[in-house]
Amino acid sequence: MDDLFNPTSEHRTLRQTIRSFAEKEIEPQAAEHDRLEKFNHALFRKVGELGILGLTVDPQYQGAGMDAAAVALAHEELSAVDPGFALAFLAHTLLFANNLSVNGSDAQKQRYLPDACTGARIGGMCMSEPGAGTDVLGLRTTAVRKGDRYVLNGAKMWITNGAVSDTELGDMFLVYARMEGAPRSKLSMFIVEKGFKGFSLGQKIKDKLGMRASTTAELVFEDCEVPVENLVGEEGDATVHMMRNLEIERLGLAAMSLGIARRCIEVMNRYATDRKSFGQPLRDFGQIQRHIAESYAEYMAGRTYTYWAASKLDLDKPGGRLDSDGVKLYCSTMAKNVADRAIQTLGGYGYVGEYRVERLWRDAKLLEIGGGTIEAHQKNMTRELARTEKLP
Amino acid sequence: MKILVPLKRTADPDNANKIKIAPGGAKVVTDGLEPKPNPFDEYAVESALRLTENGTNPKARLAGDSVVVATFGAKEASQTLRQALAMGADSGLLFEASDENLDGDLVARALAKVVEREKPDLVVMGKQAVDGDSNQVGQILAERLGWPSATFAMSIELSQDKKSVIVGREVDGGVIKLKLALPAVITVDLRIVAPKSITNHVTPQTHNYQEGARYAPLPMIMAAKKKPLAEAPFASLGVEGVKTSYVKFEAPPARKAGIKVKDVPELVQRLRAEAKAL
Repeated sequence: MDDLFNPTSEHRTLRQTIRSFAEKEIEPQAAEHDRLEKFNHALFRKVGELGILGLTVDPQYQGAGMDAAAVALAHEELSAVDPGFALAFLAHTLLFANNLSVNGSDAQKQRYLPDACTGARIGGMCMSEPGAGTDVLGLRTTAVRKGDRYVLNGAKMWITNGAVSDTELGDMFLVYARMEGAPRSKLSMFIVEKGFKGFSLGQKIKDKLGMRASTTAELVFEDCEVPVENLVGEEGDATVHMMRNLEIERLGLAAMSLGIARRCIEVMNRYATDRKSFGQPLRDFGQIQRHIAESYAEYMAGRTYTYWAASKLDLDKPGGRLDSDGVKLYCSTMAKNVADRAIQTLGGYGYVGEYRVERLWRDAKLLEIGGGTIEAHQKNMTRELARTEKLP
Repeated sequence: MKILVPLKRTADPDNANKIKIAPGGAKVVTDGLEPKPNPFDEYAVESALRLTENGTNPKARLAGDSVVVATFGAKEASQTLRQALAMGADSGLLFEASDENLDGDLVARALAKVVEREKPDLVVMGKQAVDGDSNQVGQILAERLGWPSATFAMSIELSQDKKSVIVGREVDGGVIKLKLALPAVITVDLRIVAPKSITNHVTPQTHNYQEGARYAPLPMIMAAKKKPLAEAPFASLGVEGVKTSYVKFEAPPARKAGIKVKDVPELVQRLRAEAKAL
């Protein structure tokens, strides 16, 4: 009864629960929050009651201690109804909670993870900067130790959950910076909370093409004071943390692509039966058959690859570079193409909001950029493959 | 108090329009539809949980209380039971059977056997399954057991001594309240999951439940795997023989398009002359 997509009966129940919650509670608000470009904070707290905000966090800190397959299915199900909301979930659950759960000290986890797991406080991760994206090691935010504090200076860009409204900062962040004078490859990571001196919301970024139900912000650190106990790991240690956590992020983003693709296929498949043209259902036309059949085959290929990669991904160890890049490379473009075909199949009805595919098409585009551009995946995979003579 | 909730797995009721009739009308085809718990049965699970908990701590049953869920169906139906266990039920019973070999009467007879074994104080079940819509099992079960029953419940109040319930039933023009001595059978309607439709004199009067059946939180899903779920063949219940056979299935006739009238006099005239409604 269990399969690749639902490795155990708990995974299956979790999928059903999230799907049912998503259809009843998330779907009805999705279009409006997209239009208003607004994050639904109340709904986020409600998701906290489901106990999935600490999906991979050790139960000792009120998490659920689940695996990469659970990460994939949760993101897939949430994204099928509201990718923007799913992205806020990802930033909180993977970039903050999972990252701290894997890399933090016991005291840090005690202090921050229970609130993350219930949704009492919302978290995010700060890596990109106005001048450093794919070239992440080119980041310029600095940290200096001064007595019992670290002092951070710099700006972070494209931070999901950076704000909870137009003017209000998110609650807590993992921030990558470089100790002054440290070499390029040696990053350090700090936990920074709203309210720390010198930490402020630069701007909430507006007029996004998609993912509008999540907030994106520029965050500013101006002589920002961070207590020494908020250094995660050792100084210069964090490059490995970052690379390791980006693996599960890419898997989550690939799974979000799957949710988008699934929904788009369902919409076009149904429409192709209901809509008639020249006296026949659309699905009798070869051109439409190509849209539907290719979309399904690509979706299943991506889905199978993603859940296979999930089955191999150990959250506590690095080593999933090649295929975590691979699933996101494949699935993000696949979802965008499937959404595009769905719009094409629906014609004018696809181009407007009613059938959802227009929004999903806009949301899908972000997945080729955020969490690694497809060009970054191509670069990294090719570098990995240089070490491989024979493929499995 | 022990409550038994029988569950049925049905084809996704939200996509009922996709159900097809096999050629010749031999049977209903639900291929490609996702199996889901019958919604009225989910409401029954929710009702049973509300009766056996303090609503401010929905994770635990009250001391001495338990909820048992049971189903007759394919092996995959154990998933439906697991879901109920994750919502908060204590144990599950799967009797493996094929839906095609069951009818309302046989299900009721089999449930009577389950009741004999489990000895619940109360059976709470959906008023009907949304696939066959037979609406028979609760009634036949009560008759077989010789227990009082109330159908289509929209409210349940458990007495403080837990020896009786007052069941509200919506009828034309109001609500009838029936008092039943336990043990009894209650079948529930959709309003049973309104925020205050269940009273057990433990959950504070001020407590408002969220409308609908609860979602299983992830920690409960994990905990549910440790809860007992027994599987046995349906034949082990020692009942057999269906009395109902389906002659033919037909899709309802497609509705004709309506017309627009330009004013009220024309409406009245057409209602009188064509629709013969006046």
